[in-house]
Amino acid sequence: MHELVEFAVEKALELGADYAEARFEEKNGTSLAMKNGSPEGLEVLADRGIGVRVLVGGGMGFASTNVLTKESVAEAVKKAVKLAKSASRVRNEPIRFSEEDFHSVYYEVKMRKDFRDVSPEEKLELLRKIEEEVKGTGVNVPMRYLSYSDQIWHKIMANSDGAFIESIIPRVSMMYNLVVFENGQMEQAPFVERAFSGGLELIEKDEPWKWAVKDVKALKRLIYEGKKPPEGKIDLVISPEVAGIAVHESVGHPYEADRIFGREAAQAGESFVKPDMLGERIGSEAVTVIEDPTIPNSWGFYLYDDEGVKARPRYLIKDGIITEFLTNREYAYKLGQRSNAAARAINYNREPIVRMANTYLAPGDYSFEELIEEVKLGVYMVSFNEWNIDDRRYQQRYIGSEAYLIENGEIKHPVRRPILEITTRALWSSVDAVGREVEFYPGTCGKGEPGQGIPVWMGGAHARLRDIPLRY
Amino acid sequence: MEMFELNELILRKAKELGFGDAVVLAYETNRRQVRFANNEITVAKNWHERKVELFVELDKRIAGTTITELSEETIERTLKTLLSNMKGMSPKEDYYGIAEGPFEYKNIPETFDKAIVELDEPNEYVERAINSALEEGAKRVAGVLYTDHNRIYLTTSNGVEAFDEGTGIEISVRAFIGDLESGHGTNSVRVLKKFDPESAGRKAGEIASLAKNPEQGPEGRFDVIFDPLAFANLLSYMSFMTSAYAAEAGFSPFVNKLGQKVANEIVTIKDVGNLPNGYGSRKFDDEGVPTRETTIIDGGTFKAFLLNTSLARKYKTETTANAGLIMPHAWNVVLEPGDYSKEELFDEVERGIYVTNVWYTRFQNYVTGDFSTIPRDGIFLIEDGNLKPIRNIRVSDNLLGILSRVEVVSRESHHVHWWEVETPVTTPYVLVKDVGITRATK
Repeated sequence: MHELVEFAVEKALELGADYAEARFEEKNGTSLAMKNGSPEGLEVLADRGIGVRVLVGGGMGFASTNVLTKESVAEAVKKAVKLAKSASRVRNEPIRFSEEDFHSVYYEVKMRKDFRDVSPEEKLELLRKIEEEVKGTGVNVPMRYLSYSDQIWHKIMANSDGAFIESIIPRVSMMYNLVVFENGQMEQAPFVERAFSGGLELIEKDEPWKWAVKDVKALKRLIYEGKKPPEGKIDLVISPEVAGIAVHESVGHPYEADRIFGREAAQAGESFVKPDMLGERIGSEAVTVIEDPTIPNSWGFYLYDDEGVKARPRYLIKDGIITEFLTNREYAYKLGQRSNAAARAINYNREPIVRMANTYLAPGDYSFEELIEEVKLGVYMVSFNEWNIDDRRYQQRYIGSEAYLIENGEIKHPVRRPILEITTRALWSSVDAVGREVEFYPGTCGKGEPGQGIPVWMGGAHARLRDIPLRY
Repeated sequence: MEMFELNELILRKAKELGFGDAVVLAYETNRRQVRFANNEITVAKNWHERKVELFVELDKRIAGTTITELSEETIERTLKTLLSNMKGMSPKEDYYGIAEGPFEYKNIPETFDKAIVELDEPNEYVERAINSALEEGAKRVAGVLYTDHNRIYLTTSNGVEAFDEGTGIEISVRAFIGDLESGHGTNSVRVLKKFDPESAGRKAGEIASLAKNPEQGPEGRFDVIFDPLAFANLLSYMSFMTSAYAAEAGFSPFVNKLGQKVANEIVTIKDVGNLPNGYGSRKFDDEGVPTRETTIIDGGTFKAFLLNTSLARKYKTETTANAGLIMPHAWNVVLEPGDYSKEELFDEVERGIYVTNVWYTRFQNYVTGDFSTIPRDGIFLIEDGNLKPIRNIRVSDNLLGILSRVEVVSRESHHVHWWEVETPVTTPYVLVKDVGITRATK
């Protein structure tokens, strides 16, 4: 396949491309689902193809094919060049890429327990384990939808600037949707996912069934003991899970340079952040937000992005100040910077665009007890279900699922659906203390057209927010 | 090798290996895209794909896969891998088979146009859409255009052999004046002569121009007029929830609601798989049953979940021709129009809100239907016949609540399919009473 990738790049240059990039991707894996105790069947994934992206006269063209012959790849290259040429005629200014250092690299993530050696029936056992453990709690859970998925992503990319990157990354995940029905009321833990880059040992160590047990017990308690949360201005302590969604939605997304420059305007939208806001204060001194693709075994893991640029941790906010945007080569050039390797594509048939990987609220120096004990009246939001944010990433809302009252420094009874509906600036300016321990939660981040749901981790430490107008 | 010969080969080999039910669905797709932003083309793309989706059953164990490398050797290896994996697996106890063919298929009007296949370069349509938005006062225009050409070949172990060929062309246009003033328009059709990119650009530009200098919107309960673009988003989410599979998996507020009132009596919602010029229309579903019209909500009463043959047999009824062999899904959702003109509908509202588009619809609880969604592009406070631009509000309500408070639907309907509306939806303008509106207060 190396030859076909190199052939595509050479062919594009031969046809007049100023820049050419080819990416072969192969995905193999299995997925299984179980609905209300009954196995739903096996899905075997076997997908591969090549995508070619070129610049011609400042226009960009992309073509892909899953027919992996020289003729078919040459045809795709021809199409990409033709499309780029005609696109260049509808440009106000040519697209240019930043200068980067490129390498020839091979890397892979090793599995200690290779899921390819495990039978589908044994994988079903993992789902059955959730069934049994949930049943063992005695909580009435009439609707249960569970799934397991493993995949190996094999990529080979090369470009005309000298990059040649091959990687093999295995990914394993489990998901559950559990509907608790007690006392005539329904509560739900929907789309809860546990996910890693690596082998099956990571799932076995994580024990998703324990998360499921914790969830159904908490929801039952919420039904029987849940009370209305206090309204008006109170203090709010958010868990790593809630901090994770908040940094992802209101820090990661608005700092994506393609959004800032309007490329995603008709889909995921633009951003309240402007290029001249670098160096501006957006949060309190307690707030540092890091975006790091290189965390071992993370769901968003990679060492080189899909433009061949070496990945590194990126400080989006440091001590409350906007310090860095997420960039690819096109927007790094516009900003007069080097790319910080945020270009990702979900498959061979998608263009690389600016994406997050693993975004988290960096730890502070408070213990969890210290965060709580200084709260007179507040709420501790442990998990959330409904959430959304406007397309400039400024007005967001997170509705607590598992949440508790804090009174005089102590955690009390569960509270029902506390609603944090707040602007981005107010949210990050309200943080006065951050905990010491960091946790991560997986998600599939949506962006791009056609859609590119991409694996990410979101997380961070606990954080305490003062004077929050909580709603119910 | 011709695609049907390939399908036959796969079926024959599946039978030799001892599989029971087998479905082979082969696709050939050619898709083009032109993306634009800031009045210029950001990227142009082309996809050429050939693949075979395979579904097999072995003593009630079921499996699916996709084959992209269509050599005899790969096909054989794939089937053998499936067989060895399935042998030790527990069965799906509630599997009840696939449809018995053969069937007769009718052509669906306006689903194929050679002119789209032969279209050399669609950039001209993009420029026309951008220019119409600019003429309405927009400063920056972004969006996407697609052309589609698909061939589908279906062969099953139950006597089905079916072929369909379709085309499509669609555009989605978002126009901006400043950062906070924008409008959106779309146009999705299957035949070139019906394609009207200017209408999408014009609408986007008009709304952006009306939305100048928006002020912070209010909160509370308001009568809300949903533009077709906005209501299509809610109906697209709803359509997933009408799949029997979603209901069993705990993702539907329609559980235990068959025969019950779930909406105001003026609400009739259908899935129409054979809708002429419908972006989701196809002659047959994934097991070969001819697509048809299924009434989901009839005069406010919930009448049917969307089914495939296996789920239909489980519930002792007929399939609605919505396979998905695992999960049934809608083709084109249609909310029946009413008899109000658009103007008469707006006249019904003394004080209310006009929402032209929404995005980021998310559910707190799928079984109760509690959700919120964020209006984007022009949002207007309606007061004494005037439209006053507002911003930064959220629709926070319940899906069944919204359906039961639908007060008026217009005569005029639009077929909507874009980034935020995955299942195509045909819907009028809809007036809903007492919709929950919230906003950030800090």
